[in-house]
Amino acid sequence: MSTQGRDLALAGFVAAALLSGLVAGGPALAPAEAMATLLGGGTPEAATIVFSLRLPRVLLAAGVGAALALAGAALQSLLANPLADPFLLGVSGGGAAAATAAYAVLPASLLGVVPAAAMAGAAGATAAVWWMARGPFGTSSTRLILAGVAANAFTSAMILAILATAPSPRLPGALAITMGSFAGASSSAVAWLAPYLAVPMAVLAYHARDLGLLALGEESAAALGVEPAAVRRRVFLAAAALSGGAVAFAGVIGFVGLATPHLCRLLWGNDVRRLLPRVALAGAGLTVLGDLVARRLLSPVELPVGVVTALLGVPFFVALLRRAP
Amino acid sequence: MTLLRAAALCGGYGGSTVVHDVDLEVEAGTCTAILGPNGAGKSTLLRLLAGILPPTSGAIELLGRPFNRWRRREIAKRLGYLPQWVDFSFPLSVAEVVEQGRAPHLGPWRPPSPADRAAVRRAMDRLGLAPFARRPVRSLSGGERQRVLLARVLATEPLAVLLDEPSAALDVRHQLEFGEVVRDLLRQGTSVVLVVHDWNLGLRLADQLLLLKEGRVVARGGPDALADAALFRSVFGVTVRVVAGDGAVPHIVPVGLS
Repeated sequence: MSTQGRDLALAGFVAAALLSGLVAGGPALAPAEAMATLLGGGTPEAATIVFSLRLPRVLLAAGVGAALALAGAALQSLLANPLADPFLLGVSGGGAAAATAAYAVLPASLLGVVPAAAMAGAAGATAAVWWMARGPFGTSSTRLILAGVAANAFTSAMILAILATAPSPRLPGALAITMGSFAGASSSAVAWLAPYLAVPMAVLAYHARDLGLLALGEESAAALGVEPAAVRRRVFLAAAALSGGAVAFAGVIGFVGLATPHLCRLLWGNDVRRLLPRVALAGAGLTVLGDLVARRLLSPVELPVGVVTALLGVPFFVALLRRAP
Repeated sequence: MTLLRAAALCGGYGGSTVVHDVDLEVEAGTCTAILGPNGAGKSTLLRLLAGILPPTSGAIELLGRPFNRWRRREIAKRLGYLPQWVDFSFPLSVAEVVEQGRAPHLGPWRPPSPADRAAVRRAMDRLGLAPFARRPVRSLSGGERQRVLLARVLATEPLAVLLDEPSAALDVRHQLEFGEVVRDLLRQGTSVVLVVHDWNLGLRLADQLLLLKEGRVVARGGPDALADAALFRSVFGVTVRVVAGDGAVPHIVPVGLS
């Protein structure tokens, strides 16, 4: 298949995922009726379900999926390490720990700062992991994964402590952050997420070529005109904002950031400039689809989406680990 | 024209100084070889000259302007650097790696033009890499990888190339071919700075040779001045015989430990 063919297939996949999310999103409305509603017919109740409940949820899943996939792609290139991922490195965990803490203790009028807390937590965890993983010759896979283990162990302990002591009315919400769910989607959440996506995306677009060069290590990139320290600072902040934003609005969702960039590399090669927009789209489509599975697999019971992405993502991670040199 | 000038250059890593007080001038279209025992600071000196390691003291300038007044990308357009080792964590293809050589000319937004593609093609052809273009670099041998990275340096079309052990992993045919590539570059007016362990390669290619020991220059000069058995005894602790090589270039034959 040519590149254009693959691009068309990707566009078709994303469109199909969004459409199935709207049409087959739950037991409350039959697919045929939802389709009729989308085409302009249907009852006012059906319109409420499709446009006020399902549409924000699908859009939020798409935005969060794009954010996580981009964060994964950026971290992989920046650390010159194919095993990098916001979830495995504990970046999402740092965001979740800060977000659950904020959610558990803040008065209702201040819950608007939960996303900011998630982002600060993600940024803190990113800095800590980078500091731990960096040896005299850059970051090795071993050091990186061990740093991720350390960060994840620490943040899970913090989260458990928060959950154990949180006031009971706040417990379900705090728990949802740790499991990953789009059940809380609303149009205002979508509107809030947008800037957290847009600004880091612009940063990554500007540094896409630098990221491609950094994939072969800092010395190699510096020889081709990259200023590693400056790029590192900005891209880390961008990746932390993307992961933190995702955690803030949907909780912890693993493996989208790991698997999506690798799938896209297989299809479109390693040119990061070409890769990033496709990674964003593929992450959006995959996450919308993962959420659909979470909603329908054991319907009417809803699984946390983080469970679905982990069940699908872990075999992928194992395959990567076995293949890594 | 003096391309690179270093004066009392010192540098190292994390507080320890590895290179001390090196003075060096690199003229356009000349070849400089840096030699010395393991750990003498050769690679560190090359990194300082390439501008990827900031000096701890001393002065270094490119085309008469100090390094710190150039933008990193402007230096990279003019100085091509071949690292001794690159970690290929991702399955980049040979063509993708060689294309990276054009990055300093492109900046963040501009896509490669036909001229950029032509430079990449020339570099790949020069090193006989065209048949490998789509292969992942990770599947290649050490010597083949070295040729891919050298092609990346050539694709930049810089004013000077700084090569760290460029021929260490090459078989005899590709070593000779490497010598031809260097001579071509010199004919085109490109300067070449080499870190080499192969003394005879250095003697054949270089106009000036720099012998480092413990981070300091202990001898410098043309091939005749450096092909000196006493130097080998004092710097490397080995006995060598200096014999007449091809043409007027002396040839070193190691005999034993002294």
